[in-house]
Amino acid sequence: MADKLLEINDLEVIYTTEEGGIVNAVNGLDLTVNEGETLGLVGETGAGKTTVALSIMKLLPERVSRITKGQIFLGGIDVTNATEADMRVMRGAAMSMIFQDPMTSLNPVQTIGNQIAEMVELHNRDYNKKQISDRVDELLKLVGLPADRKGEYPHQFSGGMRQRVVIAISLACEPKLLLADEPTTALDVTIQAQVLDLMNKLKEQFNTAMILITHDLGVVAQTCDRVAIMYAGEIVEIGTVADIFEGRSHHPYTEGLFGSIPNLEKPTRRLQVIEGLMPDPTNLPEGCKFHPRCPECMEICKAVYPEVTIIEGEHRVKCHLFYNGDHS
Amino acid sequence: MEQPLIETKDLRKYFKTPKGNLHAVDGINLSIKKGNTLGVVGESGCGKSTLGRTILRLIEPTSGEVLYNGDNIIGYDKRKMNQMRKKMQIIFQDPYASLNPRMTVSQIIAEPMIVCKTVSSRRELNERVYELMDKVGLADRLANSYPHELDGGRRQRIGIARALALNPEFIVCDEPVSALDVSIQAQSLNMLMDLQESMDLTYMFITHDLSVVKHISDQIMVMYLGVCVEMSPTDDLFKSPLHTYTQALLDAIPVPSLKFCTKTQNIIKGEITSPINPQSGCRFVTRCPKASAACTRENLEIKEVSQGHFVACVLY
Repeated sequence: MADKLLEINDLEVIYTTEEGGIVNAVNGLDLTVNEGETLGLVGETGAGKTTVALSIMKLLPERVSRITKGQIFLGGIDVTNATEADMRVMRGAAMSMIFQDPMTSLNPVQTIGNQIAEMVELHNRDYNKKQISDRVDELLKLVGLPADRKGEYPHQFSGGMRQRVVIAISLACEPKLLLADEPTTALDVTIQAQVLDLMNKLKEQFNTAMILITHDLGVVAQTCDRVAIMYAGEIVEIGTVADIFEGRSHHPYTEGLFGSIPNLEKPTRRLQVIEGLMPDPTNLPEGCKFHPRCPECMEICKAVYPEVTIIEGEHRVKCHLFYNGDHS
Repeated sequence: MEQPLIETKDLRKYFKTPKGNLHAVDGINLSIKKGNTLGVVGESGCGKSTLGRTILRLIEPTSGEVLYNGDNIIGYDKRKMNQMRKKMQIIFQDPYASLNPRMTVSQIIAEPMIVCKTVSSRRELNERVYELMDKVGLADRLANSYPHELDGGRRQRIGIARALALNPEFIVCDEPVSALDVSIQAQSLNMLMDLQESMDLTYMFITHDLSVVKHISDQIMVMYLGVCVEMSPTDDLFKSPLHTYTQALLDAIPVPSLKFCTKTQNIIKGEITSPINPQSGCRFVTRCPKASAACTRENLEIKEVSQGHFVACVLY
């Protein structure tokens, strides 16, 4: 078994609102990522996916949010208690992040060459100018961009190319862990296929572990080794891709997610829907957080918080339906 | 043959730019039968939204005809066009930007009826608003809420109710579900299909999501840089895509199933080229793996390969 790279124990993150309300963004999340593995983090808007990534990077907005409980270990180092100085060294070198929107995550008044060089320089203080410039060329080649365009500004590139620049920056120091927050959502399908292909290749080349945050189950099937389904700030189901896509026992929310996607293979007249909406994170329901929308809701679901049940191997589900090892 | 509800003939829209004409829509011929749905797919910048808006005359076309029940509406004067607009409506992509933030839900839905004077009294107007809200599944209590108080799915329902307010026959749906989460997207798609059945609506459904378009359309048109590269009945297109671009599009969709992951993907290289002063011949030639000298020579005719299946490619 591969070594654990990232370990999150019982993480809780809250945001405070101006009116004094408390938003429970992440509620008791446990997660491990092994070296070289790709984990898909799937969920709808507001499920807390991005908050998890920002907690790992320790980039949560300072005054309004707080980790109230739990620890995050990256390669044995406790990120939650690390100082800002330590974090500056770790960000980029040990872990880095690709943001959703390549239009806004690059500096519009700096050439892309300078932006990549900045990363190289910050983490390699002993490099001279020539070495930095060579490394920039090398990185651009790696992501499939011509090195002679490094003097151009982000607006001169298309969306797909900009995302390649962002990938080059995040891989500049060959991090152990890459957090990709919806890296292809803003791109067209043909460009998305190119970018995903590139990310897969680079990941193998550098043996980088990746957390891929997405709401697209299709992307997950094609890129991930393991999948975690998030709902209202917690993981309701986790397993290998085979468990999630081909296994028979699923959390009702996972079933609902799959039912909502129009199937290209089987024509269906009506899509199955998950009735209702995501619960308000300032006022989460008692018991299982999915129970108001769950088609299989039982009395126990409304009162008792479900514990994690092991289905088989690594496949775990948080649902009362699967107690007593019932597989049906 | 049955008269199509909407037909376009060689419809063109060029935008003037400092660098030359931008060919947003370049000679589109299409026809949609009453009660049917035409899905229009393509990548960003291929002109699908411009096409939808040109058909509604929200953008004036550069040349070509738009026939509504066989009548060319391009020549209509303002008064006649205003009458026409009652029959053709649009649902916009972004439920956040397409609703006036300072109007309440009921005001937004009532506005088209006030503008077009289709109701005679205040009471009738109110009744109609509640009827429409009921139709799209908005609770009565939301009538006096403002859009910012509601989530994306509900806002999109307001947009749909507003489009239905004048009992239209034809609705252009411009990426109506792209901004929504999958579970909400499924609710909206089901609703649009139910409404089509109960009100006998005709849709032009613009999207970049091929799985959505397959689910909802009877016929699909694939656009690339302002031109139609392939048009076919839905099942036919997915069973036997002919144009290389359509094949690449279908290959690029991530399928949420493990069975298909092992298949070697044909990822097309390069990116969409500029629609400003495009070269003659096939516009996909720069990215096409099967391109030959014949592709750039002349302007391509679109050919009917089999019953109802049109493709613009020199290979056929």
